[in-house]
Amino acid sequence: MSLLTMVSQLGVAFVETLKIFCLTLLFSLPLGLIVSFGRMSKCAPLSWLTKLYISVMRGTPLMLQLIVVYFGPYYVFGQKITSSYRFTAVIIAFSINYAAYFAEIFRSGIESIPVGQHEAAKVLGYNKLQTFFHIIFPQMVKRVLPPVTNETITLVKDTSLAFAIAYAEMFKKAKEIAAAQSSVMALMVAGVFYYVFNLLVAWVMGRIEKSMSYYK
Amino acid sequence: MKKRLVAVLCTMTMVLGMLSACGSKAENTGNDAADNTADDAAVEDAVEGAEEDVSAKTTFTVGFDAEFPPYGYLDENGEYVGFDLSLAQEVCRRQGWTYVAQPIDWDSKDMELSSGTIDCIWNGFTMNGREDEYTWTVPYVDNSQVFVVAEDSGITSQADLAGKVVAVQADSSALAALKDEAQADLLNSFGGLQEYADYNTAFMDLEAGAVDAVAMDIGVAEYQISQRDAKFVILSDYLATEQYGIGFKLGNEALRDTVQATLMEMVDDGTFMQIATEWGLEGSVCLGNEN
Repeated sequence: MSLLTMVSQLGVAFVETLKIFCLTLLFSLPLGLIVSFGRMSKCAPLSWLTKLYISVMRGTPLMLQLIVVYFGPYYVFGQKITSSYRFTAVIIAFSINYAAYFAEIFRSGIESIPVGQHEAAKVLGYNKLQTFFHIIFPQMVKRVLPPVTNETITLVKDTSLAFAIAYAEMFKKAKEIAAAQSSVMALMVAGVFYYVFNLLVAWVMGRIEKSMSYYK
Repeated sequence: MKKRLVAVLCTMTMVLGMLSACGSKAENTGNDAADNTADDAAVEDAVEGAEEDVSAKTTFTVGFDAEFPPYGYLDENGEYVGFDLSLAQEVCRRQGWTYVAQPIDWDSKDMELSSGTIDCIWNGFTMNGREDEYTWTVPYVDNSQVFVVAEDSGITSQADLAGKVVAVQADSSALAALKDEAQADLLNSFGGLQEYADYNTAFMDLEAGAVDAVAMDIGVAEYQISQRDAKFVILSDYLATEQYGIGFKLGNEALRDTVQATLMEMVDDGTFMQIATEWGLEGSVCLGNEN
């Protein structure tokens, strides 16, 4: 198989990887914010529940979570599943897993804002909601960009785990080509795809960081 | 303070509700007509149990390991091809079913079959040792589990494998053969037994020298050897002989009977042998030889 054919086939499969990546970020970032509120809440049961959620999601392998989300409906509820549920299961499992990680990142960002900011906002007459969205949230975003970049880059590579439930993303395609061609070339090409995309992600996040560092 | 709490909780509930709705919308837009029909048929199946209503069937999903040439693998054009897939396509053509090739993770094959996401496991699927776990067709290929070693390794018989590291695919019949009591002495003589998710990685380790032998099916071994310029040989001491069949969910006899009847038709009119010859497997098939 020529290099060009390999690159074009992997390129098509890379679209699947991108779909997982974009949808997961879209769902897990807001969900992470909500979970972090729950974690910091003064209501004890809510806080305990979210701590449990975060602990389970971070403490068990993503591959296991994928298998549970996909086969769960059948084995636990007796609900028949179809192949088309694969993609939904991938997105659900990835989103709830990454939301747990983002929740902790956002919590560290929010809690690191000095109490003086809250006091000044109170003095100026902001209520709680206004304080959060106008004062705390913008500062939090600046602070959490580096760890969020970390998680985003990890997500790009974790998409290869989707194969545990037979979702055909790029790395699986690369393994299939490698098996059919009896060579490792396809795996190297896949590695290049991941690296180039991660460079792009890191560059974009770097630009965002720069545009937000307006006090420097 | 309390108002804020209530407001936040309400927002959370609304957003979570929205998110789950988004989830099912994504699934619906991802569905095509064939899958929708399969969904309806699947709901009926849940009521009837493992036995499928074959007359209502419109699609036939073949579950296979896409890294197992020449039985099922990816070709130059990005299509899934192989001896087993060609047979399945012919069966579907004769039955008027839509053929769906679904590559699966071999370790999850049982979960995929039980949950109904695939109709059968059809790709170099060994019957021996698993007779009670699936509803099988009659065997269609005679297969052997063999050892593949490097040409210059100096290993010529099973006795030479003493103290060597042997590779095998996880959950494969080679592994089952080695773990069988009859092979206990052989297994104990090995320096180590390494399990791999797929044969390609095992072969890479064999080439690199990290393992000394790979235990696998003869058909796949011959394909790999011809692909890699024959730096490997197959030991004439076979590990086990066995047969391939098509595995259906235990109890799903209606579908099995339909597929088997179609296969026998193909044998009678020579199509089966023709497909076997196309893939170079005419020496291994045993279905056509019963006539």
